Amino acid sequence: MKRREFVWRAGVGLVAISPAWSWSRRWVAAPWLLVPMDDAQTDHLKAYGLTFRALKRGVRAEWFLNYRSGAFLLPSDAATARDAALAGVQVEPLDDEQLVAIRGQVQGGNMDAVPLEKPPKVAVYAPPNAPPWDDAVTMALNYAGIDFEKVWDGDVLSRKLGNYDWLHLHHEDFTGQYSKFFLNYAGSPWLVEMVEQNRAMARSQGFPSVPAEKQAVAVAIANFVERGGFLFAMCTATETLDLALAADGVDIAASYADGSPMDPNASAKMKWNRALAFHDAHLELSPTIPVYSDIDGHQVNSPDRRQPLGSFTLFNFSAKIDPVATMLVQNHRQVIPDFYGLTTSFTRKTLKPSVTVLAEEPGAPWVKYIHGEHGQGTWTFFGGHDPEDPQHQIGDVPTDLSLHPHSPGYRLILNNVLFPAAKKKELKT
Amino acid sequence: MAAVILSLVFIVGLSLPGSLGAQQPSMTQALDLERRGDYAAAVEAYRAVLSTKPADPSALLGLERSLLPLNRSDEMLPALRTALAAAPTSPAVYGIALRTWAAADQLDSVRSMAERWARIAPTDETPYREWGAAELGRQNRAGARTAYLRGRQRLGRPDAMAAELAQLALAENDYPKALREWLLAVRRLPGYRATAVSTLGQAPDSSRADLLHLLAGESDLVSRRLEAELRVRWGDPVGGLRVLTAAMPSDPVQSIAALRGLLDQLRTLRTSEGRQVQGRVLEALAERLPPAQASRLRLEAAQVYSAAGDRDAARRMLGGLADDRGAPAAISSGAAATLVGVLISENKLDEAQKRLADLRPNVAADEYDSLRRKVTVGLMHSGELVRADSTIAADSSVEGLALSGRIHLYRGDIRGAVERFKAAGPYTGDRVEATGRTGLLVLLQPLQADSLPELGRALLQLEQGDTVQAATALEQVAAHLPPPYGGAELNLLAGRLLLAAGKPADAERLLRAAAVRDALATAPAAELALAELLVSTHRPGEAVDVLEHLILTYPQSALVPQARRKLDEARGAVPKT
Repeated sequence: MKRREFVWRAGVGLVAISPAWSWSRRWVAAPWLLVPMDDAQTDHLKAYGLTFRALKRGVRAEWFLNYRSGAFLLPSDAATARDAALAGVQVEPLDDEQLVAIRGQVQGGNMDAVPLEKPPKVAVYAPPNAPPWDDAVTMALNYAGIDFEKVWDGDVLSRKLGNYDWLHLHHEDFTGQYSKFFLNYAGSPWLVEMVEQNRAMARSQGFPSVPAEKQAVAVAIANFVERGGFLFAMCTATETLDLALAADGVDIAASYADGSPMDPNASAKMKWNRALAFHDAHLELSPTIPVYSDIDGHQVNSPDRRQPLGSFTLFNFSAKIDPVATMLVQNHRQVIPDFYGLTTSFTRKTLKPSVTVLAEEPGAPWVKYIHGEHGQGTWTFFGGHDPEDPQHQIGDVPTDLSLHPHSPGYRLILNNVLFPAAKKKELKT
Repeated sequence: MAAVILSLVFIVGLSLPGSLGAQQPSMTQALDLERRGDYAAAVEAYRAVLSTKPADPSALLGLERSLLPLNRSDEMLPALRTALAAAPTSPAVYGIALRTWAAADQLDSVRSMAERWARIAPTDETPYREWGAAELGRQNRAGARTAYLRGRQRLGRPDAMAAELAQLALAENDYPKALREWLLAVRRLPGYRATAVSTLGQAPDSSRADLLHLLAGESDLVSRRLEAELRVRWGDPVGGLRVLTAAMPSDPVQSIAALRGLLDQLRTLRTSEGRQVQGRVLEALAERLPPAQASRLRLEAAQVYSAAGDRDAARRMLGGLADDRGAPAAISSGAAATLVGVLISENKLDEAQKRLADLRPNVAADEYDSLRRKVTVGLMHSGELVRADSTIAADSSVEGLALSGRIHLYRGDIRGAVERFKAAGPYTGDRVEATGRTGLLVLLQPLQADSLPELGRALLQLEQGDTVQAATALEQVAAHLPPPYGGAELNLLAGRLLLAAGKPADAERLLRAAAVRDALATAPAAELALAELLVSTHRPGEAVDVLEHLILTYPQSALVPQARRKLDEARGAVPKT
């Protein structure tokens, strides 16, 4: 141990045992704070919030890709130290000499340092009465303390998405069929409310049916991405967004949704060039089976076709050549237990060749986590509903993320929130 | 010897020519094949047995079982025809035949087979019962009723097939008809009574008055017993006892049976009223039984009276038992021990102490010590601390030390209390007692004074259940103590008590007074309690401020993880639990 380090650590130790020891004295001498994201971290999810809020205060941060499982570097100031103490996020004080050593290490390995400059303006697409505990991203943002605003169809169709950098979609059904629960859950109060709300919205926007209105919303979202927006979708929003985009002029909705039965030849008539991620999928024709197509590999709601859960493995990308993909897979675990959603995974055969696979189940005919570009923007799709509730059922108790502060599945969601903050010129993918 | 017998059996088995030697191995083989799930081979093996004994019931049943999973039940028909020809009077063969023809949907054959069987056994209900069962197996209730009524008519008895017709009526929710049939069945076979009560007990509320009216029209003991037990089932134990008492027969055997039947129903009730009646029935039974059995029943009666909250009745039973020199020793000492407990709970401590002294030669030392501690706790609760102290003085167990510590505490002897609590150790007593004692030690350790009678009185008030007065007294004591030396800790306790007593404004004032920085051991707990109060009174913003202060000011406190969790909750970052 060097003398300076010894003196510094001894000083910290003495301060720590004194009665008046407090957070503000602890880091006062160090110019930098490293937020480790390996197993030393005490709350991985809140570490993203800490970094986000630091960016919001106008400080510059850095994301050390592949260094200590994706550590963050923040300038040491009183506000950041206070925030870390309150959130219970582990931070390590660094002096300039130590930082130089880390930079040398990053330079020499499959690592990179990505500057983070501006916190993205985050929008979450959700109906006004959506419960806050039924969407993994909303839960993650709430828990981490990342600001967001809710948008819905009226905002999307009136082009308000331009006010945001990052848009999240969860289990919305963009085919306008109410998640295909209409027949199986007929009469349930939540479904009645959902149907009435969507029909009222379609009427107010001048559309003849909910499927028609949702398709227009899907097109507006694709346009948002094309103009440079960042889109992150989970669960059934992934599959139905692409189905709605490809179903240009094709009736893919059951008669209970738009008054006319689904076109029996719909699969052959789909215009897949309009979709973001998928092509050549076959649509489910039965209105009673809550399955949309063979894009989903697990088919959770079809007893005959349902596949068991395994685990998925994150790919290892070249940090210096492929920083975007590398950012999206930063994690302290490489293998993560799978979890169901209305759309759990994406079959390989329906992926467009341009899609980047970020995580897959090795040997299985499906992948879990994909990414791609559309126009000037990017999209990322993550299958499944809730990484910490693998069998998620309607009416389940909400997930309490304070019980899962190290959730690797939720980390993947939060990687997506921070990656738009990366300095544009660094994005090479 | 066993080896010799086995050898003989083996030799006899080998040497027997003909029937036994040839059939037994085939039957064994058939059963083994069936057990292993090789049904096709089992069928052939059973057929081999039947080729030599065509009416062997075991082989026929085995064949029936093995054909079923192969979906070849229709192959039973030729085997049964052969069996009936070989043994035209075998009830077992007829039973299997009825079932088989019913499964094959040959209803005419079922009927004619039953008639044929009935001609062979003209006084037997079994052919009609099996016929009806075969019809029911096909969900044909009308066919079953025809079979049963034909049986009643042919047998010439109005109560024939009554139980079957009662079950049929129940399946059709015709409770009055079921009741009439059950009465016939129970009068003929009393063993049906339990089933009758159990099935009629499920009658809906709307039909119960009609059933009771029907029963009131009958005059025999069977009807009265059924009415009494049904009333108990339907939540009217007093009515049940009244009906039975009015009809109680003079014959002791009948009356004991009637009381036992009612008792069985009463044991299912958990209401105070049900237990009271149970006690009275136990007493009535005890009067009719020999002394040894009677003592046990009176002890049980005392226990149910006690559970029902009727201490007078419990004491009456126990007093009699404890003083009964004819009662078995175990029962009388058990009764005496229970009586001491009852007297303590009634705060009749003098009598309890006297009973306990009398009991000493007859109970084990452990039980005596346990009862003595209960008397001591009773004395302590009633404020008789000197007497409590002298009662426990001879108890050198760790439980005794823990109790002695509390008595010293309530007398204001802080030093004596701490010494005894430490001597008792952290594990004495159950979890609640041990945790409470540790909490008291935390409260007492910062105090510098050896004696604080005001604090003792305040804590005794708390022990006696006067929470608000205790909190006021604690606040007054705290006012005279520096915060780091007990003042803050007493304010924290008083604040928590007032919060639990539904006085949040006073609680908040005291918790804020406890959250002073120079009371380092107390302040984080006081701030956390204050934040919880603020969240519960819908002031999350203020709670956030308090929690942030706690986390940042006392980062090494063990309460910081709890504070972070509460902070998330106050901010709405996690769902409320």
